[in-house]
Amino acid sequence: MGKGKYEESSSDEEVNSSSDVVEASSDEEVESSSDEVEALSDDVESSEDESSSDNEKVEESDSSEDEVAPRNTVGDIPLVEWHKDEEHIGYDIKGRKIKKQPRKDKLASFIEGADDPKNWRKIYDEYNDEEIELTKDEIKIIQRVISGRTPHAEVNPYEDYVDWFEYEDKGHPLSNAPEPKRRFIPSKWEQKRVANLVRKIRAGLIKVSDQNKEEEHNVYSLWTDDTDSVENKKRGGYVPAPKPKLPGHEEAYNPPVEYIPTAEEINSYELMYEEDRPKFIPRRYLNYRSVPAYDKGVKESFDRCLDQYLCPRTRKKRINIDPESLKPKLPSRKDLRPYPTTCYLEYRGHMGPVNCISVDPSGQWLASGSTDGTARVWEIETGRCLKIWEVGEVARQICWNPSPDRPILAVVLEYDVLLLNSGMGDIDIQTKMKELLHISEPGATEDAGDSKSAVTWIQHEKHDGIRMKHFKAVSSIEWHFKGDYFTTVVPSGDSKAILLHQLSKKHSETPFRKLGIPVTAVFHPSKKKFFVATKKFVHVYDLSKVEKIQKLETGVREISSISIHPGGENIIVGSKEGKMCWFDLELSTRPYKTLKVHSKDITRVTFHRTYPLFASASDDCTAYVFHSTVYSDLNQNPLIVPLEILRGHKPEHGRGVLDCKYHPRQPWLFTAGADSIIKLYCH
Amino acid sequence: MEPNGSGSDASRQVQVRFVTRLPPPLRVPPASMAVPSHLTRFGLSDIVNLLLKNSDPDHENQPFDFLIDGELVRMQLDEFLIAKGISAEKVLELEYVKAVAPRKQEDPRPHDDWVSAVDGSNSSFILTGCYDTFVRIWKSGDVSECTHVLEGHTGAITSAKFIDIRGVENEQNFHLVTGSKDRLLRLWKCDAAKRRGDPIRVGAYKILAGHTSSVQSVSVNPSREMICSGSWDCSIKLWDVKESEEDGDGNTISLKKRKVNSKTKESEDARLEGAATSTLVGHTQCVSVATWPDPDVLYSASWDHSVRQWDVPSGKETWTMVCGKALNCLDIGGEGSALVAAGGSDPVLRIWDPRKPGSLAPIFQYSSHSSWISACKWHPRSWFHLLSASYDGKVMLWDLRTAWPLAVMESHQDKVLCADWWKDDSVVSGGADSKLCITSGIEIQ
Repeated sequence: MGKGKYEESSSDEEVNSSSDVVEASSDEEVESSSDEVEALSDDVESSEDESSSDNEKVEESDSSEDEVAPRNTVGDIPLVEWHKDEEHIGYDIKGRKIKKQPRKDKLASFIEGADDPKNWRKIYDEYNDEEIELTKDEIKIIQRVISGRTPHAEVNPYEDYVDWFEYEDKGHPLSNAPEPKRRFIPSKWEQKRVANLVRKIRAGLIKVSDQNKEEEHNVYSLWTDDTDSVENKKRGGYVPAPKPKLPGHEEAYNPPVEYIPTAEEINSYELMYEEDRPKFIPRRYLNYRSVPAYDKGVKESFDRCLDQYLCPRTRKKRINIDPESLKPKLPSRKDLRPYPTTCYLEYRGHMGPVNCISVDPSGQWLASGSTDGTARVWEIETGRCLKIWEVGEVARQICWNPSPDRPILAVVLEYDVLLLNSGMGDIDIQTKMKELLHISEPGATEDAGDSKSAVTWIQHEKHDGIRMKHFKAVSSIEWHFKGDYFTTVVPSGDSKAILLHQLSKKHSETPFRKLGIPVTAVFHPSKKKFFVATKKFVHVYDLSKVEKIQKLETGVREISSISIHPGGENIIVGSKEGKMCWFDLELSTRPYKTLKVHSKDITRVTFHRTYPLFASASDDCTAYVFHSTVYSDLNQNPLIVPLEILRGHKPEHGRGVLDCKYHPRQPWLFTAGADSIIKLYCH
Repeated sequence: MEPNGSGSDASRQVQVRFVTRLPPPLRVPPASMAVPSHLTRFGLSDIVNLLLKNSDPDHENQPFDFLIDGELVRMQLDEFLIAKGISAEKVLELEYVKAVAPRKQEDPRPHDDWVSAVDGSNSSFILTGCYDTFVRIWKSGDVSECTHVLEGHTGAITSAKFIDIRGVENEQNFHLVTGSKDRLLRLWKCDAAKRRGDPIRVGAYKILAGHTSSVQSVSVNPSREMICSGSWDCSIKLWDVKESEEDGDGNTISLKKRKVNSKTKESEDARLEGAATSTLVGHTQCVSVATWPDPDVLYSASWDHSVRQWDVPSGKETWTMVCGKALNCLDIGGEGSALVAAGGSDPVLRIWDPRKPGSLAPIFQYSSHSSWISACKWHPRSWFHLLSASYDGKVMLWDLRTAWPLAVMESHQDKVLCADWWKDDSVVSGGADSKLCITSGIEIQ
């Protein structure tokens, strides 16, 4: 019986994933112990043993409530071995030791057993160390199990079948009533309706089409690939896996020689990317027998399975548009010649970055101002420096008088504007210039009224010119096209920021008030208009009425320079973030086109006076040349074509090209660089 | 020529016959011979030298150039034949001429400033104009000797020309004209008598005023009686110098007086001023060159990209050709003294033929320079040779019969501003390195 108990617990154990080895060894132990303890037990007993174990198993499987909890709680351990020398066999549920029963003498127990008629019903439970006497019922169960019947006598395995459906009193499901009359006579309502339809058809209100008469074919092609059908596409559903490539001649065991790659080709495969490398390299074998097994077969079919199963196949809608056709139709650069392309001449001599250049209206001389404190005049033709003025300060801007009979240079220094006689022109002009640049009474030039002490005109003795002392730093200067008026911009001058000067009268005034911080100001090339650029806007004024006409919104962060098209209706604005805006004054107050070409600040934008060209210079050491046709037809927008990137200047302290100017008559561009060189780019 | 060509290219041969127009000692027997087809002109030159040595043991080796159908051979013979589509089956006639190459570089004549004008029309003197406002006359010879310094201009000299070279050989007077950036032309006379010591200082005897901007070029007409000048004021002015010469005869003595008393110079100059006889207007920009090769025809080139031909008696322009580039130099010469060579604001030297009707395309374009071309001159006697000077510091010799330059002279370290032929076999050039370089020994038959 002890063995049965044990077996049961061991089977439990088995479920609880104990090792087979432990179970087997414990089994043997149990057997050996039973041999030891109950050497005298007979066959019956052993059979009872089995049956009881069976019985208990069944009981356990049905319910566990009638199972008595074992006294001992040590669990499934090899008792005989571990507790052989101990006084206890385990612990009860409260943790107290369960003492071993005193061992009976074998002889005494035999005698006891012989005396006791119920001894054959007793079995020893080793686990709890007690003798159990089986009841009569238990014996009966054991006997029933042995004889192959159900253990409990009261269980009937062959109970009568209970039918769930009831037949009684259900009757027949169909009615036996006679057919109604309406089944045999035509329907009045139907007749009415048909008459109505017929009338409508005759009246043409309903059109009967013959299309519906066509029978729909119920047959379908079983073997065709319906992946291309409309319905499949509509559903966006099944997309077949791509078909594997069919074998060709190169896969033959002895392919023609032209399929065999040469050693160089094989070597070149090594340099290729894994994906581009050919998967199969044809080889020649003497006979079919010597072709080895294809080593990548398994991998390839696996890959193909992966591909079919994992690859998300979707239909991508692709529009077939030639990318070239999306490009704007620009004329070819060749047709837009001439424009500057190559640097042929360099004007070397400055010792510091050349801040500004200006070309004389005849196109013979070039003036430049530099950080090294000099202003120079160069001969364009040969690159010779003709004249040097030591102005002593950084020359910020330089400007030739646009009138050919007034060869005067205006140089912007920190607070001063110098008007210098360039010394060009014949003797008559020279004498006139000397008169013009002479201030008789220094006191009289002090302008009362508006500008008060904004500007003071002083004779400059050293350079034989005029020094215009401003009250604050001057940023830019621009001549009126007639050459008598000019404007200077004093950015921090508040209401006196824009100054207009008249050279012949040595007179200055400040006609504009409240402008914010102006950056630069230019005159219209032919009309009485005036453009003032503040950091973000360009204001257009009418000079005759002194009132604002337009305000252009550039949308850039900070304007650095502006230039007016010689026609006067178009403006380009260069900004410090490298953007250029083209304004068509008649079109809108917003940019017609914004060009983002430079990576750094644009330092200067400029139009050519006669050729349809404009250019931009930037601190990224490049100058861009653009073509710009402005049509007289108002319906046609200006045509802007980028033509050339001019490189060559070297960066110096993060600055590149500081100024660029076109030659007034040739399609040539001058660029002044921070590397103290002026370059001439010719066509 | 073996069709199967088992032998290498070296075995291929061409039947040639050497012909020449050179005088007898340099003539080879006219028999035809087979030469390897991979030969270049150097190999051919060796063969000719060998043949000459056979007939004349004293012959000194010298380079030759070879012409096939009037074109110089500048590659391997077989390549040339393929390029020109000439059959190699026939006997090829190779005309050989003496190779044109500079042989001697003379010591440069140092100047105080950029040399901007040079005239080599006189065989024993060179006239140079300089940015330091002085015009100098240099005597030929190994010693760099400046014989005369002409002073008076207040601007850089742009052009200087000998008007009359008649008397020079007889050690008579020079008659010169110079143009300057001070808007004036000055006429000078000085005697060519050789004197030792310091150069003679000379003043102008006459001032030609009229241009309102700097004078860019001066040219003398073939009869040596008129000059023309081109200027930045877009006009060409013609001046009569014959008349003034007569006037000036009496004034030559007064030159020394003026030199001593420089205070009175202005008033005297005013008295000796001459005016232009006529003005040719038509150019819209600076007239950079005006030349007068023919008594009735005058050519001018301008920055307005055009070359114009003027009829002098009527003062009308008869031919205009627009080339697209601002032009700096122009010269008439070549075949029939009718070809126009011009260079300008790009590295291409172009040659036009005004006689060709209906076409304004240049017949030759030479583009070996790398910067602006500042001067071009036809050889005074050869139809084929011309020289060009460029801002890239090179002077190149050209032969119309090949597209490659015959010689490149890199004697200047800076821009070359002016260049001219001298004594038919030398090239004189002045540049921004303040030197007058003379390259001689250029034999052109």
